[in-house]
Amino acid sequence: MNVITSFQRQLNVLDYALASLYRRRMKNLGIFTVFSTVIFLFSSFQLMTRGLTETAAEILQDAPDITVQQMSAGRQTSLDLSVISGLQDLFGVTSIMPRIWGYYFDESNGANYTVIGLNLQEPQHDLLPPLASGRFPTGGNTGDVVLSESVRTSLNLGGRQSFSLFRPDLTLMSFVTSGIFDSATALVTADMMLISLADARSLFALAESQVTDLMVSVANPREIDTIAAKISEQIPGSRVITRNQIMKTYSVVFSWRSGFGGICLLSSLVAFVILAYDKASGLSKEDLKEVGILKILGWQTSDVMAIRFWESGVVSIFALIFGYSLAWLHIVWWHGVLFQPLLLGWSVLRPQIDVVPSFAVQDLLLIFSVSVLPYLCATVVPAWHSAMVRPDTVV
Amino acid sequence: MLIELTAVDKIYNQGEPNEVHALRDINLTISKGSMVCLRGPSGSGKTTILSIIGCVFPPTSGRTAIDGRKISRLPDHFLCLYRRQMIGFIFQNFNVLPELTVLENITLPLYPTGISPRERKRMAEPFLKKLGIAHRSQFPAGKISGGELQRVAICRALIQNPPIILADEPTAHLDSVLASQFMETMTDLKEQGKTIVFTSHDPRVYSHPAIDRIVDVADGKILTGTAGYALT
Repeated sequence: MNVITSFQRQLNVLDYALASLYRRRMKNLGIFTVFSTVIFLFSSFQLMTRGLTETAAEILQDAPDITVQQMSAGRQTSLDLSVISGLQDLFGVTSIMPRIWGYYFDESNGANYTVIGLNLQEPQHDLLPPLASGRFPTGGNTGDVVLSESVRTSLNLGGRQSFSLFRPDLTLMSFVTSGIFDSATALVTADMMLISLADARSLFALAESQVTDLMVSVANPREIDTIAAKISEQIPGSRVITRNQIMKTYSVVFSWRSGFGGICLLSSLVAFVILAYDKASGLSKEDLKEVGILKILGWQTSDVMAIRFWESGVVSIFALIFGYSLAWLHIVWWHGVLFQPLLLGWSVLRPQIDVVPSFAVQDLLLIFSVSVLPYLCATVVPAWHSAMVRPDTVV
Repeated sequence: MLIELTAVDKIYNQGEPNEVHALRDINLTISKGSMVCLRGPSGSGKTTILSIIGCVFPPTSGRTAIDGRKISRLPDHFLCLYRRQMIGFIFQNFNVLPELTVLENITLPLYPTGISPRERKRMAEPFLKKLGIAHRSQFPAGKISGGELQRVAICRALIQNPPIILADEPTAHLDSVLASQFMETMTDLKEQGKTIVFTSHDPRVYSHPAIDRIVDVADGKILTGTAGYALT
């Protein structure tokens, strides 16, 4: 049999398999629907994790090279500004920016805001998430604040620009909105209030020389780890965090959550594969008769197996394409609404971000290998059983 | 001789409680271009003989040869090819797939041979026209009459131009007009050089002049005197 005949033979078998799928359309539609749903859920997790990790990496690209914090009794405590002079002497350090990082719990709406106080000068704006409108706070006690839209909504500001927060002694401190963060940075700014260092010190009632951490910039990115080690040696009890470590933390958090969800979904995939095996095994009288007729008319066992293989292949490939495409729409168009709570947390100020994951062949291969391959394997044994029906069944 | 069965035995479910000794020491020869009728009551073993000739299953013991080639112990793969090339089957209940069209049913034996859909249709057209069912070619087989169904079965048996036509109780479900038409079709095929073997316990066909020989089968045996003798 030459190549063209062999190819045409496979086309004929495929033709027959497609007609056979159509004849049993209700049963196959049911399998297709369940299979697509499982692939959709699995792909959504995979795409959302990739999208979040990529978004975090993009945003954190502008984060400080090194963050220095002071630890006491295993907990973070404030840091005295006097350590800065020692760090400035380290070769390779280009700038050190003191920062006050704290949390403000708003009892009225249950939201927990991240308040960041910085002593901002123009060149250092590159280190901060970009603004959609307005300007960053200038130094001193100005009461200027930069917010995200979600914080404005949470505070019920409406058209107002000013609001007040309580100091620890319950006196009120007033703020005026000077800028709004770009919504693309929502992953890190959804709950953020950026104010001047002096205002933060006043809000949290910190002593004049105290900050919560230092943001250190390094000239050569390859020396970040070396300089981090030197800082760690110079400040006893300090916690020194590099940008790579923060990115890894984000990646680990998203991967862990995605993996957890993925494992839960794997059980549904296993259940589906068992269902597929069961469905494929349950040959009706008509099925047996059909195979018997085909075999008596000269179809070989391999031809009948090829029909079943094509049937399973067509169902699974189309389910993969449909489920994956739906997952893509779910993530990009509907912002992964089904899995945002699981992957981003249940916070009151959960970020509303536009995740656009890049297309990765390895993701598609992973989904293919955990969905299509098990399905094909689950249907191969019943297909073989079906193909072994003797031709005398119909005599 | 085209078909030779020598000392053929067939035991179904051998060694099991429901063992059935269907054929015992069958010796039968059928020459090329002849029409042979296997006659006998239900359960006599006619269909089993037909199935062994048709390579549907091998005999338990004995020798089967078609056109001088021993086929009794060929593996399934070769039996399949042999069936495709040598045998055309016509079944008692037609065995068509009701959801396929008439054309698809007729061309079913051609699918695994690598013949394109256009060529399959071209090959089927003369048979559809000759047997008067061309107008039904796109109808689902489940929606045509019994007589038309049988003509579909005949077309399907002939589509590969096999030298041997086997028919199992072909007139059992037909009225006398259709039964007569069937016998005329078989006569035409015989005149074209086909070898025709069919089973029947329908008295209407026994006297048909095209039948060369009637072989009486009872209790899995060929009755003495009928295996090798011409009727006329």
